[in-house]
Amino acid sequence: MDLMHEFSIASSLVDTLMEFAEKDDLKGKLLEVHLRIGKLRAISIEQLKFSYKVLAKGQFLNGSKLIVEETPAIIHCPECGLKKDFELVDDSYHFGLPTLSCPRCDAPVNLEGGDAVVITKVRIRGTRSKK
Amino acid sequence: MMGKQTDVITSSGDEVFDIELEADILKANRELALENHAKLKQNGITAIDVMGSVGSGKTSIIKAMVSVLKKNHRIAVIEGDVTTTIDADIIAAEGIPTVQVNTGKECHLDANLIKKALTRMRLSELDLIFIENVGNLICPAEFPLGSDKRLVVISVTEGPYMVVKHPMMFYEADSVAINKVDLADAMGVKPSKLHEDISRINPEAKVVSTDCRNNLGITEVIRSLGFTDA
Repeated sequence: MDLMHEFSIASSLVDTLMEFAEKDDLKGKLLEVHLRIGKLRAISIEQLKFSYKVLAKGQFLNGSKLIVEETPAIIHCPECGLKKDFELVDDSYHFGLPTLSCPRCDAPVNLEGGDAVVITKVRIRGTRSKK
Repeated sequence: MMGKQTDVITSSGDEVFDIELEADILKANRELALENHAKLKQNGITAIDVMGSVGSGKTSIIKAMVSVLKKNHRIAVIEGDVTTTIDADIIAAEGIPTVQVNTGKECHLDANLIKKALTRMRLSELDLIFIENVGNLICPAEFPLGSDKRLVVISVTEGPYMVVKHPMMFYEADSVAINKVDLADAMGVKPSKLHEDISRINPEAKVVSTDCRNNLGITEVIRSLGFTDA
């Protein structure tokens, strides 16, 4: 088994979906799982999809697809008040270097958002529970 | 009054429908981390999470810090590894309680493993816990444990680009130790450049150069974590 945190996250995802299906008494087949994942998360979408495929067994989950929307992080500078999307700064190494200093005044910035790993929507074929 | 009832729409069985929700997948770990934190605080314990690559010197730094801090603190160490008790045995030689957590297949500790480890410890007899995470620069950053501070240990033997290649680990670091500086020349790596890279990613992290084998920089690391007794 590969050593990677995507596997743990996929495993939590499966648990969350199963709990949800049980709680709402959903019968049928899960078609799509929509996720929102923050840019700051070191999550490889490809590995997450692979792990999910391995773990998503059983009548309800099997064959369902993960659809991921990546969301930005916002930097907020307490010194000069700059507020903008967090960007990767290319430096001389040609790596995208993310930085927590303000691009305008160089002060340390606060980060807002960018750390979500959230299920936003599921698409199901089956029978809707009576509410 | 037995008129016709209102039409009831019944599902014909199979239909495709969407359900909107807002389910945080990592919430379970975060909540457990908060529980751990509360439990530690109830017992007046400070917890420090130590992270870094395999072989960067996490165990050596913890051992060196314990040897200084044990005079004034009641310390225990939680050792996270994929397998073996080698690190726990090294720390236990300092005469303090250690708990080995073997993750088996996972590449990081999570809050649930720490919760279990805490049940094995006499918390009322402690005021400081070091948690050595599994040697890994990527995964542990995603799983808070409930500690107060985070120390990242890197070494010059990991090459000149290790910081810029693994920025995630440094975002939430309170302190960073650049270890094995005695080997910097042999490696052709400038500790000052690594320091610069760390400060660009996280200007608030305190950065200290260390050479664990010769016990250099340990006092500074201890102070960077907020202790005044070194």
